[in-house]
Amino acid sequence: MAAQYWEEERQSRYDSMLKGYLSGELRLVNAGLPRSQKTLALLLREESPHVMCQDGSTQLIKRKELDYLASILDASEQDALLLPMLMELGGDQSQVTILCAGQVERKVISIILDMPLPREQQASPAFALPPASGSSTKIPVSSRMGETITIYRPQLALVRKRLKTTTQYVFSQRSATRDPSLTNSIE
Amino acid sequence: MPQLIKVRPTKIELVKLKRRLALAQRVQKIVKDRLSILTMEFLQTAKETVEAKRSLLDEISQMYRALSVAAGYHGYVALEKELLASEADVAVTAGLRNVAGVRIPSLELKEPARTMRGYGLLETSSFVDHSAKLAQKALKAIIELSELQRGLELLGMEISRTKRITNALEYIIIPNLQATIHYLTMKFEERDREEKARLKRVKVLLARKE
Repeated sequence: MAAQYWEEERQSRYDSMLKGYLSGELRLVNAGLPRSQKTLALLLREESPHVMCQDGSTQLIKRKELDYLASILDASEQDALLLPMLMELGGDQSQVTILCAGQVERKVISIILDMPLPREQQASPAFALPPASGSSTKIPVSSRMGETITIYRPQLALVRKRLKTTTQYVFSQRSATRDPSLTNSIE
Repeated sequence: MPQLIKVRPTKIELVKLKRRLALAQRVQKIVKDRLSILTMEFLQTAKETVEAKRSLLDEISQMYRALSVAAGYHGYVALEKELLASEADVAVTAGLRNVAGVRIPSLELKEPARTMRGYGLLETSSFVDHSAKLAQKALKAIIELSELQRGLELLGMEISRTKRITNALEYIIIPNLQATIHYLTMKFEERDREEKARLKRVKVLLARKE
């Protein structure tokens, strides 16, 4: 009887540890997401351009990348481009979706890839970040992403090579449940 | 070979196990995505590190060649005297960038505000200017390489850690959960069948009594 009690106790502890660890993993991968995005124009004016992350840390944005973006965009586009750009990996890992608010992101990516990109509409936001409090120039990420750009893995490498600090990966729960085999097994 | 988790054979335990399996599978998917991104970043950083190392070696060799020409023209003592005045602190903006949960250092050399390098223009020649320009370029390359190498180390460590997690999920945790769920489901089905058989038996006995 006592042995059975201790075995159950051990199992419940293992269960809670596993649960905590697995949810910790989910938190860790999205710790680098920005609390709020900033416009390129605003970042260009900052002495050391940076954005605040979900975990409270700051992500430094390289001046070289900002200068490159400024060189390919005019003043009105610089006000419209929100950084860092968010990229979500597709369910089958072969495609990457870039979440964007307007046409400027499309222009930037098509210049980097040197090819035109088709226009797509996103059905619903992939994830919801808490809205940022503070100045009006910082725009909250949630409920603003209306369009997406889909690129392939080799193209992602090209984009990341050029824009290392001005792009950020998103790991959404939606992409995890998009896998049909996974959905079946959960049911 | 998956092992059965020791749990009480109750429906509540089965529901708990199913929930745990769903969570584990969701995490496995995310961890796999992360692993593939980290591997891609690692390979790209490795390529860039090789390029940066090669360019640094080129720039350093060019810089030393230019410096030796300048030293030959001015003489070591005169050159050293001029260069003592040009000593300046190097300002580097240091921060972090997050790549799929890995914090990688991000370094950027701040361009000095002054236009003059500190040495007298009357006593020096364009050879010194040229070597100073090359030294500035080499310094930039050193900072770039240091950032890349540290990033490579951190990404490598994170990849091996993530691989361990993926393997644990794929070969131990998920199979064990699946096996236990399967065992419990079979057990409950068996109980149902036993119950049905018992009821039938009771029904027959009651029919006989009547």
